[in-house]
Amino acid sequence: MRTDSKSWRDPVLVATVAPLAIVMLAFFVIPLVMTAVLSFQTTQFYRLTWTWDLKVWTEVFSKPHYWTIMARTVAMALVCVVICLLIAFPAAYALATRLRAYNAQIQILIIFAFLTDAVLKTFGWILVLDKSGVANWLLAHLGLGPEALNLLFTPTGTMIGMVYGLVVYPLFTIYLSLARIDRDLVLAAYDSGASRLRAFFEVTLPLSRPGLYCGAVLVFVLSLGAFLEPKVLGGGTAPLASELIRQSFETRVNWPLGAALTLVLIAIGALSLALGAAVLMRGNSGRAAR
Amino acid sequence: MIPERLKDRFVDILLVGTMALLILFFYVPIVTLVVFSFTDSRVLTFPIEGFSLEWYGELFRKPDFLPAVANSAIVAAISTVFATVLGSAGAVAWIRYRFRLQNAFRAISFLPLLFPQLLLGVVMLLWFSVLGNWLGFSTGLATVIIGHVVYITPFALVIVAVQVYGFDETLEDAARDAGASGWEVFREITFPLLWPGILSAATFAFLLSWGNFYVSYSLAGTARTLPIFVYSGIAVGSSPIYPALATLNFIPALVLVFLADFLRRRALKRQNLATA
Repeated sequence: MRTDSKSWRDPVLVATVAPLAIVMLAFFVIPLVMTAVLSFQTTQFYRLTWTWDLKVWTEVFSKPHYWTIMARTVAMALVCVVICLLIAFPAAYALATRLRAYNAQIQILIIFAFLTDAVLKTFGWILVLDKSGVANWLLAHLGLGPEALNLLFTPTGTMIGMVYGLVVYPLFTIYLSLARIDRDLVLAAYDSGASRLRAFFEVTLPLSRPGLYCGAVLVFVLSLGAFLEPKVLGGGTAPLASELIRQSFETRVNWPLGAALTLVLIAIGALSLALGAAVLMRGNSGRAAR
Repeated sequence: MIPERLKDRFVDILLVGTMALLILFFYVPIVTLVVFSFTDSRVLTFPIEGFSLEWYGELFRKPDFLPAVANSAIVAAISTVFATVLGSAGAVAWIRYRFRLQNAFRAISFLPLLFPQLLLGVVMLLWFSVLGNWLGFSTGLATVIIGHVVYITPFALVIVAVQVYGFDETLEDAARDAGASGWEVFREITFPLLWPGILSAATFAFLLSWGNFYVSYSLAGTARTLPIFVYSGIAVGSSPIYPALATLNFIPALVLVFLADFLRRRALKRQNLATA
């Protein structure tokens, strides 16, 4: 790909870059700064007062209740990452190696499901997981025990919903890195006597690492904000960080607290992003050195 | 020899089976909703007892969901235009240009994709509330549209960027050599070549906005889009009108996805003919 060096005096550059940059600055970067600023204010009688102090932050750091919920959120996110990768890798591998003739059709099927209204899909899961729902009917007809499974309003219900919403991301990132692998490299491994299993572990798997990491990071970061799933499918029995943040805004009308908790969650996400990037970089330089 | 081949068969079945199960998994709640929309009972238990169109009738006797549909359509239409235009322009700058502050531009135009939607909504809600206090406005459809544009533009950018990446710039050179002006090159070569990507981006943008709950929920104020309408409905208690509403909601999405795919294939075929 050839690239053109452009100066900021070039009107074409200004026309392509400036509108998007302005929108993102005004409605993404500045709001983030504003969130940080708000976390240093306090509320009195449900009204925001502009005092610069650390009251909210001391509350956040002194209440173990918040950190229990944060820890639960991170734990759920990690479990979700593992499950998503375990499902997405073989599926993406099948898509890249076994199902190439049906790629377009499969992609449309997946994209349509992905783009369907999340609230409706979550509602659909209620009907499936409910005691008198589809899942239990199916289990009973397969002769798997008379007692009904209680999945709705449990953390398992939440997890099913989270995996359902997020498994698409690693599926596509892993597929993209698998599809880019030069087939000759795998054939070269066979020629030099590697078994199919060995070729997979020594060639295919290392080369699909970028897709695996990107998918893992996306799932992790996005599942930190899961809200519908714990509320609707988890029944609010084990609230996650999103519920905590929503409550501090809506029920307690304590905006500085909500802002501070939002920042904590963003910090957790940003740290894991940085960690993911560092691991990816090390993997790349390690391979280059070899 | 035979065990080896058997093992291969086994791996094939395992891999393809995972994909098949995954697709099944994706469609379990969707198919369930469609099935339940035809029930004749008020309680949503499976298996459904009888088939009826009663709940579709109910839906049209009491069309209180229509304002929400109108709001969703307005929001999705306007957000799609902005997100697609901004994303396409941004994608060209991402891939084809080198300029000062490019990495900063890349970061701010991509980061919303890595943000949980609820946090994105909350952060923008804080900003709009502060701004609204100063300037005297409250959140509503306009702020929902801004929120959708911020959330959706990075998706559009990535989709168009893939198209820009596979772009053959010698075609532009050829047009320029043949005496075309800068605008003519853009109109006759650049734009048609990027069109399939832009079309996919627009479809994606429309459906992401149409089905968006989190960002709308934070920024809508008292206005209601379709997902918010359904959410507040099922929060009160499930009723068979929601599966019926859901099924109706799938139809435009289905039409749009297949239409976009058809147009994209046609454009690609034309391109292959033109370059062959």
